Amino acid sequence: MNKPVPIEINHIQAEEQIRITWNDGHIWEYPQTYLRGYCPCAQCQGHGASDEKKFTPVKEAKLEEIRAIGNYAIEFRWADGHNTGIYTFDYLRSLCQCLQCEPSHAGST
Amino acid sequence: MRGFFNKFARKERKMSTLTNELVLEALKSVQDPEIHKDIVSLGMVKDLGVNNGTVSFTVELTTPACPLKDRIQDDCKKALAHLEGVTNLDISFGSQVRGSKVGAGSTDLLPTVKNIILIASGKGGVGKSTVAANLAVALSRHGAATGLLDADIYGPSIPILMGIKEGPKKITVNGAVKLSPPIAHGLPIMSIGFFLEPDQAVIWRGPMLGKALHQLMGDAHWGDLDYLVVDMPPGTGDVQITFSQQLKVSGAVLVATPQEVALADVVRAKSMFDKVMIPIVGLIENMSYFICDGCNKEHDIFSRGGAEKAAAGFKIPFLGAVPITPSIRAGGDAGVPILIQDPDSEIGKVFLDIAAKLAGQLSVASEAGQQTESLKIVSS
Repeated sequence: MNKPVPIEINHIQAEEQIRITWNDGHIWEYPQTYLRGYCPCAQCQGHGASDEKKFTPVKEAKLEEIRAIGNYAIEFRWADGHNTGIYTFDYLRSLCQCLQCEPSHAGST
Repeated sequence: MRGFFNKFARKERKMSTLTNELVLEALKSVQDPEIHKDIVSLGMVKDLGVNNGTVSFTVELTTPACPLKDRIQDDCKKALAHLEGVTNLDISFGSQVRGSKVGAGSTDLLPTVKNIILIASGKGGVGKSTVAANLAVALSRHGAATGLLDADIYGPSIPILMGIKEGPKKITVNGAVKLSPPIAHGLPIMSIGFFLEPDQAVIWRGPMLGKALHQLMGDAHWGDLDYLVVDMPPGTGDVQITFSQQLKVSGAVLVATPQEVALADVVRAKSMFDKVMIPIVGLIENMSYFICDGCNKEHDIFSRGGAEKAAAGFKIPFLGAVPITPSIRAGGDAGVPILIQDPDSEIGKVFLDIAAKLAGQLSVASEAGQQTESLKIVSS
């Protein structure tokens, strides 16, 4: 049970980003279009056997609501009504691109 | 004014003065044996008074089912034995059950319930419902406000086990229509069985099921409960997913029979709860052994101890072993759980002991939950 868990999810409306702070110190601001593009629901990811995460580009991803699901996941309700993606903490963490997760990003902005 | 001087004079007569601070300082050496923190920092020492050498206080336990009350009392006595000026000790016990729901709190359907415990198993037929019913009765006999929720859609057996003849009644609470759970043996009880036609099989797809469970949980007027024991259907399907998404579950208890083939399914159940981050607070071995009514010898029908070994392997607390006896079965058939029928029986003690251990584990989970920050969702 010692998997990293988020302690704060901050919807920074002006920047259209969602900052997730984890209990082990990781912090990253997820762009809304990035999160929406990686929506984990079956409609977006398909039913294929591939483990690879599929990215579906979207022009716009307005966020209406963020809701905790049980002890383990987050639901994002997008303005177009899409809300079938249940983003488990593990999945959100796999999308984290902070400097600890992606050291190659150091130096670039 | 005179009182003040009297007090002053008394102080002078005694070389060192016994104060609340000194007593608290001494009590800091007493640890809660399960949470591993001192009872003063945990805020368990209440109503402390020092009067002419008589020290009185209440230890507020984290559960009325505390298995370690005597030990805490002994430790308190020892801690204060060397304190100068103590002539008399008056320790009483109270309890305030702490909630152990983890995670963000905004979506909880059951805000008046402090602890939600799922009784689960990987496979059917291990005696989950019998264990759930007797465990709920045991928690209630320990003095905790306890409710029982039967979510076993495939075979809702709690109404039979608890002898319930009538379903819930509609009542109005703050303008909203709610269901008042029937009370059996002192426990409020809801069952999915109340909403099904008798003798009809449930052939529902997920969404229908989710809706029914949502109603079962959210529309019931439970009132303030320390523990809600939930009898789950076997396996790892829709009901489990619904509970893990709709509720802030404190922990799951796995029930298994001791033979290898049954234990294999424990692994599956464990992996599911790990995925949805519901802590497993214990494993119970049911049908562990049979006590012969002719020779009083204990027979190991399956391979007794198998579940305990598995618990050690998975690092899950082992809560206890329940024997297979005709009296448990008879109690269930009659709608009077063994603990109500014969509370002093050996088997009754087994359930009381398991309930105490479970309550202890939930207190530990609660303390751990307060340390790991709960999730905040904000907007800026």
